[in-house]
Amino acid sequence: MRTRNTLKVLLGASLLALAAFGVAPQASAASEVIMAVASTFTTMDPYDANDTLSQAVVKSFYQGLFGFDKDMKLQNVLAESYDVSKDGLTYTIKLRKGIKFHDGTDFKADAVKACLDRVTNPENKLKRFSLFSVVAKTEVVDDYTARITLNKPFSAFINVLAHPSSVMISPAALKKYGNKDIAFNPVGTGPFVFVEWKQTDHMKVKKNPNYWKPGLPKVDAITWKPVVDNNSRAAMLQTGEAHFTFPVPYEQAELLKSKADLELVAAPSIVHRYMSMNVTKKPFDNLKVRQAINYAINKEALVKVAFNGYAFPAEGVAPEGVDYAVKMAPWPYDLAKAKQLMAEAGYPNGFETELWSAYNHTTAQKVIQFLQQQLGQIGIKAKIQALEAGQRVQMVEGVQDPAAAGIRLYYVGWSSSTGEADWALRPLLASESWPPRLFNTAYYKNEKVDANLSKALAVTDRNEKARLYREAQEQIWNDAPWAPLVTERLLSAHNKKLSGVYVMPDASFNFDDIELK
Amino acid sequence: MLAYLVKRLLGVIPTLLIVAVLVFLFVHLLPGDPARLAAGAEATPETVELVRKDLGLDKPLYEQFWRFLSGAAVGDFGKSMRVKRPVSVEIAERFMPTFWLTFWSMGWSVFFGLVIGIVSAVWRNRWPDRIGMTLAVSGISFPAFALGMVLMQVFAVQLRLLPTVGADSWRHYVLPSFTLGAAVAAIMARFTRSSFVDILKEDYVRTARAKGLVEAVVVIKHCMRNALIPVVTMMGLQFGFLLGGSIVVEKVFNWPGMGRLLVDAVDMRDYPIIQAEVLLFSLEFILINLIVDALYGLINPTIRYK
Repeated sequence: MRTRNTLKVLLGASLLALAAFGVAPQASAASEVIMAVASTFTTMDPYDANDTLSQAVVKSFYQGLFGFDKDMKLQNVLAESYDVSKDGLTYTIKLRKGIKFHDGTDFKADAVKACLDRVTNPENKLKRFSLFSVVAKTEVVDDYTARITLNKPFSAFINVLAHPSSVMISPAALKKYGNKDIAFNPVGTGPFVFVEWKQTDHMKVKKNPNYWKPGLPKVDAITWKPVVDNNSRAAMLQTGEAHFTFPVPYEQAELLKSKADLELVAAPSIVHRYMSMNVTKKPFDNLKVRQAINYAINKEALVKVAFNGYAFPAEGVAPEGVDYAVKMAPWPYDLAKAKQLMAEAGYPNGFETELWSAYNHTTAQKVIQFLQQQLGQIGIKAKIQALEAGQRVQMVEGVQDPAAAGIRLYYVGWSSSTGEADWALRPLLASESWPPRLFNTAYYKNEKVDANLSKALAVTDRNEKARLYREAQEQIWNDAPWAPLVTERLLSAHNKKLSGVYVMPDASFNFDDIELK
Repeated sequence: MLAYLVKRLLGVIPTLLIVAVLVFLFVHLLPGDPARLAAGAEATPETVELVRKDLGLDKPLYEQFWRFLSGAAVGDFGKSMRVKRPVSVEIAERFMPTFWLTFWSMGWSVFFGLVIGIVSAVWRNRWPDRIGMTLAVSGISFPAFALGMVLMQVFAVQLRLLPTVGADSWRHYVLPSFTLGAAVAAIMARFTRSSFVDILKEDYVRTARAKGLVEAVVVIKHCMRNALIPVVTMMGLQFGFLLGGSIVVEKVFNWPGMGRLLVDAVDMRDYPIIQAEVLLFSLEFILINLIVDALYGLINPTIRYK
């Protein structure tokens, strides 16, 4: 009897356990979207953020005066219109009326002043200080007009205001929480209201019922979930525990493509990959050597080998999609010409050098191994090293004396976060940007390029600006301080029930029209 | 015994001091300027200087060390450089998930390890031993990240029985604790087996058998206690390692634990977090060692503490 009872209890228990197991995990309520992203958020204060991801998720509750649509076209958001003075120094911005912050405060010109005054004050020690260093002062003209005065002409200023970090924070909330705690209590005007940020797990937002764009947003809530491992994110998408995942590693692309309920998207990007050559050092001071290297790299093969086809050969100094970028024909792969140029330069048997990579992830490892092999074809024996973040800072970005720089060949990438030519060229190729100031890792210096880049900032006329930038880019292309490699495509995947979420060319997200069927 | 424990606990203090000095020097020797890393790719030198001030890195090294030490003495480890929250909060939030994961993995792996080990020793060189040791060798040689991914693929994606990532309910614990415990179970099994094999040859075992005791009693009552000493030592060590948070398993299952925190902290050169975590790990190891020593006395009363 006793044994039989025990048996029954055991059976019952295991049935219960089975029943509990049997319920497949579901991504809860009807219109709650779960977005699986690749790394942990650093802050909810975009003025103190330097990672694209943190700046992308705060768009749930924050908006700027201007912004970018999903194709990086500049558009008005909280601003209705703007005027620039003739000298390019004063920007007068008309604001949209009838918008309220989540805490009930009206959105008025005092918010513009409060936010810009905050970031331009060095006392507040915000990481985006330098982006706003051109702002001299901000004034309230009337409730719905703000006037911003610059300390020097800077024609890309509207792009600065459209940058994901320049958002409007409720001045009342700023006063209430102070400079530091606003990061944990964000109050904006966006389509969603901040609910909670559990640092170990997720960040959650819910629908803003009083959103100023009628009919939006179309979902009740979004949960942003950082999941570091690529495979785990892909698994979540397959089980329905997430609706969207970015980035998708190239190796997973085929698998996810084959699933009926999922959609894989390869979006165009402005993420540009190149190899810079230190032109101040032998033998890279010789133009012929730099040209030879450009001819010796088969970019088509590189796309296949390292990027599984989800990239295309670089078509210029700045990629298409960046405002004022000039499209150029990629350097052809021509070994005979490369060898001839090497001989003319006095290196018929090649030389030894070093090739560093700014990243140590798998794709970068593949790229530098491929480059090493390609350079080997013309006798250049490159010792490769993939730098970890700290090493990169020490060996490349933090080097104080250009003469002592150990950098030779350097594989790296860039995306212009303002979507505009100035930030795509000046930090990388102007002589003022040599490390440790910015990232001119080629130590390139050309007077014409320098002059054009600074002149373009003072010019407000579009045609004149386009001419200056074109000349600069052509000059750079011919001087070949870089071997431009590829422009990446951004791979994301989502459940077919989800629509309206886009990965933007700068790897940020646009989810104005997010909808779950 | 009590006097011994008090003495040992007092001995913890100089050890921790030495660890504190070493870890402080070590993290400041890592290549890379944390202010530059924190300021990000697009920052100008002015911004980097602002960030440096904000993080307190502009102060001389001895002053930073003194702040670290005097703070640590009262449990204040400063603020994380990355997320700007108190280090104690950052660690406290992650300690329990890692602790429970360790606890459950140790629980099942010690149990199965012991059973497999004893069975293998008793039926040495016969088929239970062969099966047991095959399992053990597989457990040691199969890397945790691969095991985790395979388990996830099978049980979460294909069969839809268990959730993939997170740490919200008991169901979330199944796959990670199995993954984490597999290697430990294997090690325990091999340790138990070899320890038992030696003891089964002892004179007192022969005497017990000669008395006419049932083999089960001989094994459980007479051998077990004596065989446990090396096994408990091993258990303590493994427990200490697991408490540090398995980086691999926590990454695969997105576990909100200490291992992931440490990796993030090293990537960003988040000094306060690295220092506090390393100190905590050393403290854990010391305490576990102490517990293991105390356990010796319980298992074998002939051991005396001096």
